[in-house]
Order: sequence, then C-alpha cells, then structure tokens
Amino acid sequence: MSVFTKFLRGWQFRDSSPSLTVGDECSVFVAEANSDGNGHVYIGDTHLLVEGAGPETVERRVRVEVTEFDETNATGRAEFIEIVGESSYTN
Amino acid sequence: MSTDNSDSPDADPSESFVQDTGEEGPRIEFYGGRGMSAFPIVFFILWAIAQTAFWRISDEGGLVIGILVGLIGGMFFVRGNWKTYANTIFEGMTQPVAVTAIVAWIWAGMFAQLLQDGGFVDGLVWLAQTAGIGGALFPAATFILAAVFTTGIGTGYGASIAFVTLFFPAGLLLGANPILLFGAILSGAIFGDNLAPVSDTTIVSAVTQDSDIGGVVASRFKYVIVAAIVAFGGYLVAGQFMGGLGIGGNAQEILVAESEPIGLVHLLSMGIVIGTAVAGRHIVEAISWGIVVAAVSSLALGLLSLGDIVSFNAPADAPLSQPLEFLPILTIVDDPDAIGVGGSLIQGAAGFFELAILVLLIIAAAQIMIRGGAFEAILDWSIENLATNVRNAELTMVGSAALINAVITINTAAEVAIGPYISKIGERFNLNGYRRANILDAQTAALGYIFPWSGGVLAGYSAMQELPGEFEWFDTGMLVTPIDVVPFVFQGWLLVAVFIIAALTGFGREYIIDRESEEVARL
Repeated sequence: MSVFTKFLRGWQFRDSSPSLTVGDECSVFVAEANSDGNGHVYIGDTHLLVEGAGPETVERRVRVEVTEFDETNATGRAEFIEIVGESSYTN
Repeated sequence: MSTDNSDSPDADPSESFVQDTGEEGPRIEFYGGRGMSAFPIVFFILWAIAQTAFWRISDEGGLVIGILVGLIGGMFFVRGNWKTYANTIFEGMTQPVAVTAIVAWIWAGMFAQLLQDGGFVDGLVWLAQTAGIGGALFPAATFILAAVFTTGIGTGYGASIAFVTLFFPAGLLLGANPILLFGAILSGAIFGDNLAPVSDTTIVSAVTQDSDIGGVVASRFKYVIVAAIVAFGGYLVAGQFMGGLGIGGNAQEILVAESEPIGLVHLLSMGIVIGTAVAGRHIVEAISWGIVVAAVSSLALGLLSLGDIVSFNAPADAPLSQPLEFLPILTIVDDPDAIGVGGSLIQGAAGFFELAILVLLIIAAAQIMIRGGAFEAILDWSIENLATNVRNAELTMVGSAALINAVITINTAAEVAIGPYISKIGERFNLNGYRRANILDAQTAALGYIFPWSGGVLAGYSAMQELPGEFEWFDTGMLVTPIDVVPFVFQGWLLVAVFIIAALTGFGREYIIDRESEEVARL
C-alpha cells in the first residue's frame, strides 16, 4: 500500500453490524466465554458464538472460521482455530 | 466468575459470562474491596487536578510525587503480604507500552529541538511576512502556519509559546483580534499535537492501542483535516467580524526581525519523518532519518553549528580538555557550575525525562488497579450501562477520554491513565487499534488546549505575559484572559464534534476484520 493510499483508507461510513461470509477466517478478540467452552465475539454489534473458545481465550485475539451467519440478525457461529495475539494490556 | 449456558448467538449479551479474571497474574486483595485497588490512580488524579487545575502548576515533577504518594498510600490497604503489590508495580513498569512510548519520546524530543533551534519558526515567519496578510486574514493564516509548525515539532506547548511570542504581537499590530488570534494559535497546536508522528500524545495513543505510529497518523488524517477545514473557514469568517485593537504600528518590524526563509528547509526533514513513518518504517528509523537530515541541512546552511547540536563544557584541569580545545564541540569553562553537556540533542531528549518517569509510575498504578479488580469492576459497569453497543461504546470512549483530559492539565499523563480503559472497551467490540488510538488522541489533543487550566493555554498565556516587557506599545490590557479564548479554539471543539459524529454515523470506523494495525513491536 502506498503512502498516499494509507491516508485515503477509512473515508467511509462503516456499518455498526458488519456482515461476515461463511468460510471466512478472521482474527478477533473474544469478549466473554461460557462455562462449556464457547466464546462470544462482538464485531461491532455483530455477535458470533465461537465453539471451542474457552475462558483462556477471553480478551485475547483468536483466529476463527465463520461456519454460520444470519445477515438479518447479524449473528453467527464460528470455530476456534488458535490464539494469535494478546490484548494491549495483558492481565 | 459467573457462568452461563447461553450457546446461542442471539442470547442476551448482557447476561453474565466468564470474564477474564487475570488468572495469569497474582491477584491483590484490598481492605474495603476491589475498588480500593483504584486508590493510587484516583489519588493521582485528585492530586493532578489540585496541582494543575486549582493551583495552575504545570510541573511534571509534582505529578511524579503525586503518583508515588498514591502508590505508597495504596499499599496500606493491601490484605496480607505487601510483596505482591510491590511486584505488581514492577510488572506494570515493564509493560511494553511504557518502554516503547519512552523510547519514541526521546527520539522525537531530539528531532523537535533540532527543528526549533534550527529556525523552523523563522521560516514560517518569513512566509507570513512575504504574503503580506492583513489583520482580518491573519488568524486564519496563523492557524495554518501553527499547524504546520506543530506537525513538524510535535509539541503543541512549544508551538503555543513560539507563536504567541512572534505572531501574536505582529497580528495585533496588523489589526487582528487578539482573542481570535490566540484561539487560532491554540488550534494550530491542537492540529499538530494530534497529527505529528513525533508528538508525545500521538506516540502514547499508538502504543497504548497496540498500533504503529505511521499507520495511526495516516488513519487520523481524515478526522483532523475535516475539523481543520471547518476551523479555517471559521477563522476566515470570524476575522471579518471581530475587529482588532487599532494599535497601529509596523508589524513588519517584528516579523522581519525573526524572518529567515532558509528555516523552511525543515519542511524537508518533517516530510521525511512523516513519509517514512507512514510508509511503514520503524518510528525510530523514521525519526533518526529526520534527525540526520535536520542536522546536516542546518549545519550546511549555517542555521546551527556543531556546538549548538552537542556541546561539552569541560573544566580546564581535565586531562584532555586543553589539547582538544580546538574541537568545535568542546569549550573549556572556569565556572564549576557551567560544566556539563548541552545542545539541541540533550535538551530535546531531557525534556522527556520527567515524563518518562511519570508514565512508568502511572502504568504501574494502572496495573495495581487491574490486579486488584477495580479496573474490571469499572469495565463491567461500563459495559452494562454505557457501552451497550458499538455506537455507545465509541461515545463512551470519546466521553471518558474527553473528561479526563478536561480535568488534568498535562494531557499526556491523562492519556496514559485512560489508555487501558479505551483499549478494553474498543477491543470488546473489535474496533481496530487505529480507530481506538484516534478516538483517544483527538480528545487528548483537543481538551489539552481549550480550558483556562489546560497546559497548552497556560503555556501560551505565560509567553503572552512577557510581551508587555518586550514591546513598549503592548500594555497588560491587551492580554487575552484564558477564559475568553475558550469558545474560539475552533479546532479543539470541532475535533471533539467530528468524533461524536463519527461514533454516531460510523464515519472512519474500522474493525479488526477490516484492517489490523501493525504490531506494537514495530511501534
């Protein structure tokens, strides 16, 4: 990406509930986890339930694969792949 | 730790979930509950408000003592062994956030001082003088020039002082309205403080949000420029309606005395730092190139001597002082108090030494709050009551950053203190590091130059108080009272407004899935 292009990134109005495509892999922060080992991810107001993302993934950046997505309600499911990063402030 | 079996993504997010409880690190228990772990940082904030807002003492050394006393006081509320508390102080101080900010500040400080000592402002004075701008247009032109200057040197306080000293008296003689002119200077300072890669607040905003500085600068340009275009228009229009003091006199005399077109060469070193940082080079590399170009061009064009950049004042009885006296960087001094090392590089770096200690201690206090649970309690409350969706989350980030910067005069300290909160709220909604850093720094830059107790206003006002002693025609009645300038710091108010609108409309919003900021290891 050229220097000039970097200045032009983000000149847009981004949806508060972004859409996801089934099959896509992305890395996201896990907000919360259930006791049964599933995590909750919020991308804006889009809500993903991540299977296999237990308490150890909370407030960490994880790679997930989207397995289901409902455009109308901006909700979906994803599978946990791996932890790929930490929060800016580690607890 | 609560549990919930809601395995549906449609479930109510407000239901209780397992939160990260920091199992990786030791917990600290406090008498009075987890809220008491906020004692050091709350004590510091109250100290900072008393010192900087009530007593108007912008002394970072005083703030260092404030946080130290807070950390000592907090220890008395710890249940059981104090060792964990003490170790957590070290744990906080060794966080990458603190170290990276300090390293970048020191580099930025050297670069900024070279530009200041190398006559950058004199080049801009030449531009103003050559353009022959009248009183009505002078505030708008001053805004642009102050913005360019601050984008180069990074310090809005320095820009406020330089521009109040040079442009303010000249503008008054040209017939510009003094309140509007002071507002324009502060607005320019905000522009640069927010945008410059060598600005201390830019650096803090990037490292606290795990983002590279170049990427942060490029991504925030859209907010800064939108506010600046409207602010510029505001100064143009207001300049037509707000009259001057009708002093008369020759403004050119003031400008010509400080006019040096060759000072504009520093636009080159400024451009190199911005260009290389945005291109993705390490910030230390980018600023180092700026330092080299600024030093070489200043030496080649006679703006600085080698001794201005670095100088050693040695005593006559030192073993090699007499034989090496011919060196341009060495001076033999008789006065024992004059012995030392000076010059732009040391002066620029030293300007950040106190701030470096302060940031280490603030981050240590923040870590105590995290380990003690107060931070989690505040976050939980915020998520339940304020940041209930992404729009509210961004408004909460704008509001909290604005509030803390409105009450603490030294905006860098305020920014460091609120950084973890902004990070956690933003990460919850997967807002990327650039967006979080931009929300944080816009409020920091803006609110640091608006109110009568703000550091930028105080810096400019202090310089203004020297003017009656410098110019016969300048009487104390011409001084702008800090309270009067509040509505006229257009860039500050507009920048806050831009972010409120951006939070409401999604303008510029980026999620981590859209673009990940570069890793913090690269700054």
